[in-house]
Amino acid sequence: MVYCLFAIVGIISLYTARHYWFTLNRLFGFQRHPYIDTDTADWPQVTVLVAAHNEEKVVSHILAALMSVNYPREKMLVVPVNDRSTDRTREIIDQFCLEHPGRIRPFHRTAGKGGKAAALKDAMELVDTEVILIFDADYIPGAGLIKQLVAPFFDPEVGGVMGRVVPLNVGTNLLTRLLDLERSGGYQVDQQARMNLQLVPQHGGTVAGVRLSALREIGGWNDNSLTEDTDLTYRLLLYGWKTVYQNRSECYEEVPETWQVRIKQIMRWAKGHNQALATYGFRLLFGKHRATLRERIDGFFLLGVYIMAPLTLLGWLLALAVFYEGIAPLHGVIALLSITAYSAVGNFAAFFEIAAAVRLDYTRQRVCLLPFLILGFGVSIFSVSRAFISQLMAPLTGAQFHWDKTERFRTTP
Amino acid sequence: MTATLACAALFALTGALFLVPLIPAIVELRLKRDAKALNVIQQYAGDIRHFSQGFRSYTADLLEPLRECVSSGGTATGTLPHGDQCLLLGSPDAAELLQPGSTDNTCDFVVLAGANITLPGGITFTKELFASRQITAGERCTYRAILCDSDVRLGRASHVSRWAHAAGKFQAGENCDLFGRISSEREIELLPGCVFQRLNAPRIAFGAVNETQEREPSIAISSEALNKGIAATRQLVDNDLEIAPGAVIAASIVTRGNLTIGAGARILGSAKSHKQMTLGQGALVAGSLISVSTIHIGANCEVAGPVIAEHGLEIESGTHCGTTQKPTTVSAPTIQIEEGAVVYGTIWARQEGQVLPCK
Repeated sequence: MVYCLFAIVGIISLYTARHYWFTLNRLFGFQRHPYIDTDTADWPQVTVLVAAHNEEKVVSHILAALMSVNYPREKMLVVPVNDRSTDRTREIIDQFCLEHPGRIRPFHRTAGKGGKAAALKDAMELVDTEVILIFDADYIPGAGLIKQLVAPFFDPEVGGVMGRVVPLNVGTNLLTRLLDLERSGGYQVDQQARMNLQLVPQHGGTVAGVRLSALREIGGWNDNSLTEDTDLTYRLLLYGWKTVYQNRSECYEEVPETWQVRIKQIMRWAKGHNQALATYGFRLLFGKHRATLRERIDGFFLLGVYIMAPLTLLGWLLALAVFYEGIAPLHGVIALLSITAYSAVGNFAAFFEIAAAVRLDYTRQRVCLLPFLILGFGVSIFSVSRAFISQLMAPLTGAQFHWDKTERFRTTP
Repeated sequence: MTATLACAALFALTGALFLVPLIPAIVELRLKRDAKALNVIQQYAGDIRHFSQGFRSYTADLLEPLRECVSSGGTATGTLPHGDQCLLLGSPDAAELLQPGSTDNTCDFVVLAGANITLPGGITFTKELFASRQITAGERCTYRAILCDSDVRLGRASHVSRWAHAAGKFQAGENCDLFGRISSEREIELLPGCVFQRLNAPRIAFGAVNETQEREPSIAISSEALNKGIAATRQLVDNDLEIAPGAVIAASIVTRGNLTIGAGARILGSAKSHKQMTLGQGALVAGSLISVSTIHIGANCEVAGPVIAEHGLEIESGTHCGTTQKPTTVSAPTIQIEEGAVVYGTIWARQEGQVLPCK
C-alpha cells in the first residue's frame, strides 16, 4: 500500500515538474512561431469542413465568417458537414449555398454511424484538396485565419495544424469564466510550450487542419474513436508527421454554460483520451516508429493526463488508509519537508501555469478568479474518475458509448 | 466565555481567514471588470498595408484642399481630427517644411505634398509624410512614416521608423535603416548596407540587379506541385543528407540532421532540415525550404515556395525566391542577403535583415 502511494506521488510529481517546465519555457524560453510570417504565397486549394449536428443557433455565423476571409476565393471550398440534423441546420446551409454559388458545397448526411469522426469520414468523398481545414460550427474564424492555418502545410513534415481556441461567452457565469482560464492555460502555455520544445502539440479537431496525403497514409478518420482529434494526433506522430500549434491563429468558440454540459463534455474527452492511451500508449513508448525520444515521452505524458484524476483520488484514499493504519512511510523530518515542499510548490503548479497564461494574454483582473479553479478541479476530478470507472466497467455491463453533442447557448451573433 | 462560544468564534475566524483569498475573486465575479472575451483580431491587421491604409483614410478629407494648393501653387496649414498640425504643399518647394528660425532641421507637421517634391538632406520628420507625386529625398533624413502615390527615392543613410508605402517604385540608397513595414505596389530596391525588417512588393531587388541576373525563373510552381501530390511524396531521413550536385529528386525531403543540396541539384518538391541547410550554387527547389536551424542559399539558386529559417538565413547574389506570377515569403529572425538577389513577394526579418555587397 505504501509503495503504491509512493508511486502515485512520484507520478504526480512528474506532472508537476512538467507544468513548471512548460510555464517557465513559455515565460523565458525561445518562442517558436515559424510559419506565422508567411503572408504571401501561392496559396494551395483548401477545403474547409464545418462539422454541424443540430447547429441552427450558430451555423450561419461561421458560414458568414468564412465567406469574408481573405483567402483567394477560387482556392477555397467550404463543405458544411450536416450530420443528421433534425433542426433548421440544413435549411440555413442551403440558403447560404444559394447566396454564395460555387463557394459552398454542402454534405447532408441523413443516416449512418453517429459522431464527428464518422461524419467527417463520409464527407471525404467531397474532398480532393491536399489541405483540409476543420471547424466546429460554433467557431467564428477571423479574416486572416485561413491563411495562417494553411501556411504550415508548406512544410513537408507537417501533417496537422492546430490554432488557438478563445472562448467568446466568457462573462456569462462562473463556469464560463473558469473555462476561459483553463483554455488560456491549455493553449497559451501548454500547447505553445510543446511547440517551442518540439514535443507533441495536440490536434484539437477544430480550428485545425490536416494534410490529405498524411490522413490517407494513417488510414483516414477513425470513426471508432471517441475523440478523433487525439486519435489523429497520435497516428500522425507514429507515422512521422508533425502536428504544429499556432498560438497566434486564434478563433472564438462557445464554451459550455451549464455544469451538466461541461461534465458530459469532459467525460467524453476523458474516455477518448483513455481509449487513445490504451490503443497507442505502449506502441508510442516502445514501438518502432518515427517519433523522437522526447516526443515519445511527452506524448505518453499527454495521453496520461486523464488518468491522473482517478490516480489522485486513489492517492487520497491510500493516504487516509496509511494514516489510519498507523504506518509512517517516511522518517518524520523527511515527511515534513516533503509535505511542506509539495504544499509550497507542487499544489500550485497548475495555478502558476494559468496565472502565467493570463499574464501573457495581457489581461489582469481575471487572474483574481484563480482560487475558484479549485471548484472546477473538484468537478473535473470526480467526473473524469467516473468516466474512467464506467470505461473499465463497460465490458462487464455491456454499456455502449454514444456520442453526446455539446449543447449550444448562443442567442445573438 | 463558554466553550461553545469559543468554538464558534474559532470556526468563524477560520472561515473568515479561508475566505480572505476569495475576496478578490468574489469582487471580480460580481463586478466583471475583466470578463470580456480576449481581443482576437477578426480583421487582418497583419496586412502590411494596414497602417498606410489607415493613414490614407485619416487624411482623405485633405485631398481636395491639397488639389487647390497645387492649382494655386501655394501652401496651407490646418489641423487633423486628432489634433496634429498639417502642412499642405502645392509646389515642389520644400522650404516651408521647416519653421522659420528652426535650427534642428525638424519638421513637426504632418506633411501632404501635391507636386513632385525634392527634400533636402538631414531633415527629421516627426510626423507622417504623404505625397501624391514623386518623392526624391536627400541623404540622412529621418521619417516616421511615408505614403506616396508614386515613386519614392530615399537618399543614403536615411531612416524610416515605422512604415512606408509607395504606389510606385521604392528605392533606398546605401546604408538606410528601414524599420517596420515597407511596401510597394510595384517594386522595392535596396542598396548594400541597408537594414530592413519587413518588405513586400511584387519584386524586391537587393542592389542594382543587372540584366544577366534578371532572368525569367524556370522552376515549377509550388501549389501545383502540392496539389498534384509531388510535394506530398516525401522522403524521411533521420540523419544528415547530402544530395549530389546535379541530382534530380522528384519528392520532398525531410532530414532530422543537416541537409546539403549540391550545386545544380533540382528538388521537385520541398526540402526541410532540423539542422543546418545549405544549397549549392544554381540549385533549384520547386516547393518550399524550411529549416528549424539556419539556411544558406548559394548563388544563382531558384526557390519557388516559402523560405523559412527559424534561426537565420543567408542568401547569395543571383538567387531568386518566388516568381512574378507566384510571389512567396522569405522569413527568418535574421537575414543577410547579397546584392543581386531578388525576392518576389515578402521578405520578413523579425530581428534584422541586412543587404550585403556582392562578394
